[in-house]
Amino acid sequence: MTTPDEQLHRAEEQAGLVSKGLAAGKVGTFSGAILGISSVAPGYTLTASIGLIVAAVGLKMPAIFIAGFIPMFLTAYAYRELNSRAPDCGASFTWSTKAFGPYVGWMCGWGMVIATIIVLSNLAAIAVEFFYLFIAELVNQPSIADLAYNTAVNIISTLVFLGLATFIASRGITTSERVQYILVGFQMLVLLVFAVVAIAHVGRGDAPAGLSFDLDWLNPFSGLALGAFVIGVTGSIFAFWGWDTCLTLGEESKDPTKVPGRAGLLCVTTILLTYLLVAVAVMMYAGVGEEGLGLGNEENSSNVFAALADPVLGTVGGLVLYLAVFASAVASLQTTFLPAARAMLAMGAYGAFPKKFAEVSPRFLTPSFSTAIAGIVTGVFYTAVSLLSESVLLDTIAALGIMICWYYGITAFACIWYFRRELFTSARNVVFKFVFPLVGGLILAAVFIVSIKESMNPENGSGASIGGIGLVFYMGFGILFLGAVLMLVMRARSPAFFKDRTLRSSVLPETVE
Amino acid sequence: MRLIVGYLATPSGDDGLALGVRLARTLGAQLDLCIVLPPDRVLPGLVSIGGYDEILAEQAQGWLDAAAATVPDDVEVATHVSFSESFAEGLITESARLQAEAIVVGAAGDGLIGRYSIGSVTSELLHSAPVPLALAPRGTRHSKIDRVREVTCALGRREGADLLLATAVRASAAAATPLRLVSLVALDPMFGTLRGDGEAARERALAHARRTLDAAKADLPEGFPVTSTITDGPSVEAAVNKLDWHDGDLIMVGSSRLGAPRRLFLGSTAAKMLRVLEVPMVVVPREQLGVEDLP
Repeated sequence: MTTPDEQLHRAEEQAGLVSKGLAAGKVGTFSGAILGISSVAPGYTLTASIGLIVAAVGLKMPAIFIAGFIPMFLTAYAYRELNSRAPDCGASFTWSTKAFGPYVGWMCGWGMVIATIIVLSNLAAIAVEFFYLFIAELVNQPSIADLAYNTAVNIISTLVFLGLATFIASRGITTSERVQYILVGFQMLVLLVFAVVAIAHVGRGDAPAGLSFDLDWLNPFSGLALGAFVIGVTGSIFAFWGWDTCLTLGEESKDPTKVPGRAGLLCVTTILLTYLLVAVAVMMYAGVGEEGLGLGNEENSSNVFAALADPVLGTVGGLVLYLAVFASAVASLQTTFLPAARAMLAMGAYGAFPKKFAEVSPRFLTPSFSTAIAGIVTGVFYTAVSLLSESVLLDTIAALGIMICWYYGITAFACIWYFRRELFTSARNVVFKFVFPLVGGLILAAVFIVSIKESMNPENGSGASIGGIGLVFYMGFGILFLGAVLMLVMRARSPAFFKDRTLRSSVLPETVE
Repeated sequence: MRLIVGYLATPSGDDGLALGVRLARTLGAQLDLCIVLPPDRVLPGLVSIGGYDEILAEQAQGWLDAAAATVPDDVEVATHVSFSESFAEGLITESARLQAEAIVVGAAGDGLIGRYSIGSVTSELLHSAPVPLALAPRGTRHSKIDRVREVTCALGRREGADLLLATAVRASAAAATPLRLVSLVALDPMFGTLRGDGEAARERALAHARRTLDAAKADLPEGFPVTSTITDGPSVEAAVNKLDWHDGDLIMVGSSRLGAPRRLFLGSTAAKMLRVLEVPMVVVPREQLGVEDLP
C-alpha cells in the first residue's frame, strides 16, 4: 500500500498541490481587470449615482466623474503600497492604527465598517427596486413596480434580500469567478448597447432632449459653485469605490511585476470610459431638465435606469437592462459582505471591537458573528433611514461619499506616515508613497470638510431633515460622532487596544519609535 | 500506519475524533488531525484580501490543538491545517501526502436538521475517497469504548468483494480482534427474483457465505476467531438490524460497483445500513490504488 501512495504523494508534490492548496499564479491581466470591474459593479453604481450627480451639477456630470476619479486613483496607490508591505484583512483600520495610533485607527475602521454597511443597504434597496421592475415588466403589470415604492413592502423585501445575503455569506458560499465573468460581461454589454442606442435616438432626432455633445461637459473648472461641485464629487467618489482592489492582486498574479499594474490600468480605463460614455449618452438623450425623463427630475434621480430603460431600449431591452442592474446589485451585495465582516473580524481580533467579533464558525469556517452583525445593522440602518427619508437611495449614496472620503483620506495619510523613513529613498517611492497619497488625501479631506458643511442643508440631499438639518449630515457626521462615543465606551471596557498593546507588536521595524 | 481524521470543532467532528482514537489504539496507528480551510480565492472585495488566511489558519490550529489535547497519551497525534476549495478534496490530498491508510470522519451533519442525515463532507468523501473511509455515527464522542471489539464484514455476492475481504482480514489481524463475516439477504420481491422463492435465495447466500468463510480462514493465523452469519429480512435494513451489535463493533462494507475503480461510491446497500446502524462503518474502495493510477 505504501509504494503507490508514496508515488502519488511525490506526484502531487511535483504538481505543487501540497504546499498550501492554492494554485498560485492564476490571475492574468484580463481576469484581474474583470475582478476589478466586478467589485465596482458599474451597472448598479451608475444607476445609483447619476441622479445625485446631475441634481448637484447638471450638465457637468462627465466632468465630475473625472474629478472624483482623480483622488480615488491617487489614493489607490496608497492602498497598493500598504497592502504589499503589510497585508492584513483589517486593511485601513490596521494601517492607520499602525501609523497614527489606536484612536485614529479606530475611527478609520469605524468609517470603513459604516461605509460597507451603508453600501450594503443601498445595494439591497436597488436590488429590490429592480426586482419589482423586472417582474412588473415581465408579466406586464406596471402596478407591481409600484410595490417597490410602498414603504412597508419595500422595507420587508429589502430585509428579506439582506437576510438571504447574510445567510449565504455566513455559510461561506461565494460566487465563482466564472459567474462573475459572465455577470461583468453581461453588464458591460448591456451598458454599452444602452449608451449606443441612446445616442442613436439622439441622432435620429427622437430623443426627448436631444442635446448635442459639448466639450465643456468635461471641464470641471467652469460654471460650478464649490458646494455643488463637492456634492457631485461625493457621488462620483462612490462610483469609483472598490476598483483599487485590482491593484492588490499582486501575489496571485501570473507575473507579479507586470500583471497587477496592467490589470489595474485596464480596469480603470474601462470603468472611466464606460462611466463617461453612459453619462454623456443619457444626458444627450434625456437632458438634465426637471420634468419628464430629464435626469434632474426628482422622481427619477435616485434610479435613472429604471426611468430610462423602456424609452431607450424598448420593452424587451428594458427587461434586459433591469436584469443586468439587478444581477449587478445582487452579486455585489454578496461580495460586499466579505469585507464588511472581515473588517469587523480584524477589529475584534485586535481588541478594538469586542472579542466576539473575531469568532470564526467552527462549522462553516467563516466569521459568522461579524457577518450576522453586519446583516442586522444594515437592516436596522435601512429601516431607520427609510422611515426618515423620502429618497433613501439618494441620501445613502451622499452619506456613503462622506464616509469613503473619511477613511480613504485617513488611509492615504497613513501611507505617507507609515513609510516616512523611506519616502525619498527612490523616485518610485516619492511618487507612489508620497506625492500620489498626499494629493489624493488632501482632495479627499477637502471634499470631506465641504460635504459635511453642505450636507447640513437639507436641499442638498433628498430634502429630509431633522430639526432643519439635513438627514445626510446625521448619516455622515452623526455616525462618525456616534463612532467616537462608542470608541470611548470600548476604551472603558477593554483598554488593551487603546494602550497600544494589541497592535504594537506587529509594527514593522521602520516605524518603531 | 497513519489515520487521517477530518476534523471540525463541531459535535460530528468530535465523533470522528473519538472513532479515530479508538481505531488508532486498536491498530497501533498514528492519528493525523486535519482541518481543511477554504482558501481566500474569493473575489477581492472592497478591501484588500491579505491576512485573512492567517487569521483563519490560526483559529483552525487552535481548534486542532484543543482536539489533540483530548487525545489520550497512548495515541500518537499530529495536526495539519491545509487549504482547499473543498473539504473532501483537501482531505484526499492530505491522505496522499501523509500516506494515510484511511480517513476517519463523523458521519452526521451538524445543525438542527443535519443531525439525522449524512454530512455534506462525508457524502462527498463517500463518492470520491481513494482510501477506506471510516464513519463515526452520531454520538460516538460520548462512547467509553476504547478499542474495537469485533470486526464485522458485510460481504456481497458480486464482484469487488475480494479487496473488502482482504482489508477486513488484514484489519482484524492487525487489531487482534475477532472477525465476523455476514451475508445479508434481502427477500423483498424485486424484479427477477419473483420466480425464485426465498428458500432458494437463502440457499445460495448460505453457500456463498460458506465459501467466503473458507477464503477468509485461509488468510488468518491458525485458530483465529472467525464466524460467519447469514441474516435475512424483507429489506437490508431489517436484515442488518437482526444481527447482534455490541459497543465497540465495527462494520466494513465494500463500495458500489457503479463507482469508478479505486474510488469510493457508497452503494445502496451500504447507504441503507448506514441509516440504521449505530456502529462505526468502514467503506472500502472497490480496487486498490496501483502505480498506474498516479495523476
